[in-house]
Amino acid sequence: MTVALERSTIAAAKPARRRRFSLSAVAPYLQSAPLALILGAFLLLPIIMIVVVSFWDYDFAAMYPDFLTTNYSDVLGSWVTWKTYLNTIKFAAIVWALTLFIGFWVAYFLAFHIRTTAMQMVLFLVCTVPFLTSNIIRMISWIPVLGRNGLINSMLVHMGLVPKPIEWLLYSEFAVVLAMVHLYTLFMVTPIFNTLMRIDRSLVEAARDAGASGWQVLWNVIIPLAKPGMAIGTIFVVTLVMADFSTVQVMSGGQSASVALMMKNQMSLLQYPAAAANAVVLLVLVLLMVAGILRIVDIRREL
Amino acid sequence: MTNTMETKTGISRRSLLKTGAAAVGLAAGSGAISGFPTIWAQSNITLRQFGTGVSNLNAIADKCKADLGITLEMTATDSDAAAQRAVTQPDSYDIADIEYWICKKVFPTGVLQPMDVSKLKYYDELVPLFKTGKLTPDSVIAQGTAPHTVGFVEAQDSKTFAKSPTNWFTMVPTIYNADTLGIRPDLVGRDITSWADIMDPAFKGKTAILNIPSIGIMDAAMIMEAMGNIKYADKGNMTKEEIDKTIDFLIKAKQGGQFRAFWKSFDESVNLMASGEVVIQSMWSPAVAAVRSKGIACRFQPLKEGYRSWGGGLGLAAHLKGAELDAAYEYINWYTSGWVGGYLNRQGYYSANMVSAKKFMTEDEWGYWIEGKPAKGEIKAPDGTVMEKAGAVRDGGSFEERMGKVACWNSVMDEDRYMVKRWNEFIAA
Amino acid sequence: MSHERRTLEFYVLAAFFALFVLFLYGPLSAILILSFQGETGGLTFPLNGVSLHWFANLFERQAVGDFGGSFKRSLVLGVMVMIVTVVVSLLAGLAFRRKFRGATALFYLAVASLVVPSIIISLGIGVVFQQIGFRPAWYTSAFGAHLTWTLPFGVLIMFAVFNRFSPAYEEAARDLGATSWQTFAHVVLPMIAPSLIGVGLFGFTLSYDEFARTLMTSGTFNTLPLEIYGMTTNVTTPVLYALGTVTTVFSFLIILATLGAILYVGRRRARA
Repeated sequence: MTVALERSTIAAAKPARRRRFSLSAVAPYLQSAPLALILGAFLLLPIIMIVVVSFWDYDFAAMYPDFLTTNYSDVLGSWVTWKTYLNTIKFAAIVWALTLFIGFWVAYFLAFHIRTTAMQMVLFLVCTVPFLTSNIIRMISWIPVLGRNGLINSMLVHMGLVPKPIEWLLYSEFAVVLAMVHLYTLFMVTPIFNTLMRIDRSLVEAARDAGASGWQVLWNVIIPLAKPGMAIGTIFVVTLVMADFSTVQVMSGGQSASVALMMKNQMSLLQYPAAAANAVVLLVLVLLMVAGILRIVDIRREL
Repeated sequence: MTNTMETKTGISRRSLLKTGAAAVGLAAGSGAISGFPTIWAQSNITLRQFGTGVSNLNAIADKCKADLGITLEMTATDSDAAAQRAVTQPDSYDIADIEYWICKKVFPTGVLQPMDVSKLKYYDELVPLFKTGKLTPDSVIAQGTAPHTVGFVEAQDSKTFAKSPTNWFTMVPTIYNADTLGIRPDLVGRDITSWADIMDPAFKGKTAILNIPSIGIMDAAMIMEAMGNIKYADKGNMTKEEIDKTIDFLIKAKQGGQFRAFWKSFDESVNLMASGEVVIQSMWSPAVAAVRSKGIACRFQPLKEGYRSWGGGLGLAAHLKGAELDAAYEYINWYTSGWVGGYLNRQGYYSANMVSAKKFMTEDEWGYWIEGKPAKGEIKAPDGTVMEKAGAVRDGGSFEERMGKVACWNSVMDEDRYMVKRWNEFIAA
Repeated sequence: MSHERRTLEFYVLAAFFALFVLFLYGPLSAILILSFQGETGGLTFPLNGVSLHWFANLFERQAVGDFGGSFKRSLVLGVMVMIVTVVVSLLAGLAFRRKFRGATALFYLAVASLVVPSIIISLGIGVVFQQIGFRPAWYTSAFGAHLTWTLPFGVLIMFAVFNRFSPAYEEAARDLGATSWQTFAHVVLPMIAPSLIGVGLFGFTLSYDEFARTLMTSGTFNTLPLEIYGMTTNVTTPVLYALGTVTTVFSFLIILATLGAILYVGRRRARA
């Protein structure tokens, strides 16, 4: 439908020059309408609903339309919330640093060290394949590797490197971070790879001709130009980690808390207004973080 | 595919009681099975049912189609999602297969309609546990959200639970069981007799409990009481002070490194046990069977304090009416008429209608699963694989011994807001 | 740089890349191996013999659930999401090339869509459908929920594409007398085709694997990720791993098809 619309707009714009002017003024609105409609119906409306519900009252069984701030004072007034947020932010920071490091060097290798486009494509796809397997299955797959009698531990014990299996490999924060890096690195590799591929190679050549060393080229030319990709990757990774509940639950063996997990516990006993208030707080925090990132790098301009 | 059978490799240390007569006596006074229900094939009725994987079995849908002509569309979810779906998407199902503890929250929201007892053909045969809370006339009513406390409402349009049986049944009980600790007899190295044993420093870092707040807190309560730390008025409905004490205790144990993990799903518990990550943990009976089917020793250990029990039932969606409602009643009557009961009993769960279920089990099966007798021949799973060799005895013994020793039911507390808040603290600690 | 002799940097990075690939595939290979577990084997090592039992089992009817049906639903939903994502992001990308009122707001809305935690959207859409009285279903509410996840990806990619897109080609085409439509169809579209295929692939896979957003919006029937999650409440056999292996192979095929499509487009363009 939308294609047809677009087609007719442009076709209609052809004959009369004067009419085309007005139509081309309308065109962006028509073109962006589907996006606006979908996001309006499936994003704005639900969020408004959540915000509304977060002020509602609830008792054992039902929720009642009301305007109460107790849900918020409950959320913000408890040390658990703060601790859980800190914990979640800690995960986000560690995972972000690791994925950025790995993502940049992988993308850099693909973009600057692989000579043919075909090979670049192939290697990039090699990185992509695991990301197309179910997240749940990918997560579960770490368990036989990391467990007390898992691959790594039995190998280490067998080789005599450790006297008994290492406990903290599984059901620990280490396991959570590891699984998250495993799950989310592609979200960093892809945008950085994209920006690196767009860097005009003559800039690099020019810098070299001007006598810059490899590190200087990297530091002064490539990294600044790769910033938009890093920013986008950062947005992906940070928001994914902030909203994660299943990875934290499964990989920490339920021993670690995250904000979304806290929400899920409330939802599991149908305490929706409390969960909604939590959701609003999380949403505001994440939006602030993203706004901060966008302040540093204007991705709109630099995409 | 999954071995949901409870099996037994050794001879139980518990003495075996001959309880067969009593188990049959339970159902005394029940009516005979009447003729086969109406065939719905021509009307092409479809009922949509959702629930946990425990009871949403395709075999039941097949048999229902064959017997009644009603097409059952089953959707399996995890127990959290089941509760969410029941409340937030009431149009998406016709039959809700949910647990009693969450029914306490779901029913008052008005998404289900109560059932007219006079339309339930096998109502009289149902185990009295679901009507009065007593397995036998002289048994003690267990603590927690016992099914009978949320089993009835005052009137057809009422949302408040009735104190005693009325003509309006909220859910028809289908499946229930008694949970206890599962242990690895080869790794614990001593007799396990009490819930308190899970806190033994010898098992530091090798224990686990459930991470579903309303069930996990019950595990903790059983442990607390067994250790003599506290005496609850009602474990299933703690006061704020009791919640505080229980959670503080859990936090201390967690920080001391007593737990290896908190599991949320069936397979997690099986993996924890099978891989040797834990040696003693709160467990479900079929999970123990699943561990054992891998050739690993695992016992569903009866404990002196008794069991933590759970039960599920079928509820009718509020939107059902007319022919669909009739079909739903027909389906529920069929469900309790024996075939399903036998099928569930043979997996190690219990059917709510033992009288009819017995007719669909062999004498040996009935003896092994329900009466706690040694198996005379091979005990087979519904799919035909051999579960148990002759001579095996079920952990915990007979139906009466097990369901008669229920200390508490899975619960939702009146203070559940406070409880979840503190539970989140426990996880964050 | 790339035309010079291999430097030390190359070897260090190549080793790093190899480690990364090993890290990605390590646990997957554990799944792959375990899916050939013998009939009595469990979800963890060691192997109890080698068999194809669990693959056969995968295609039989399970005691619980319905892999086939949920796979079909996920596939159809993925394709629907893919098509809408490609078309809508392309249109939005075109729109953003010009200034229009609300452009900034819409852009940030798209970014917000990416940022809003999935579980919140899922809950919100579920509640909204409930309030309006629509029946949630995988092809309505879950469809919308998935679009809020795939569209921002698509829009950002198109944004990036058009930001770098030189208007010189279009001007040249117009100077040669091409209409706007001709310019779009014969100049712009072929140039951005690989990116569009990328958007489509992204859209499909993000939808195919989406869990949290489907949780409260799927209505009566499960999509594949929900089914897998539901199965974990009951299934403890390597059939889960067999499913993992099969879906990975399926993903491989999708990627190969995509690669083929990109090559085909490239060759056609080269010929033209």
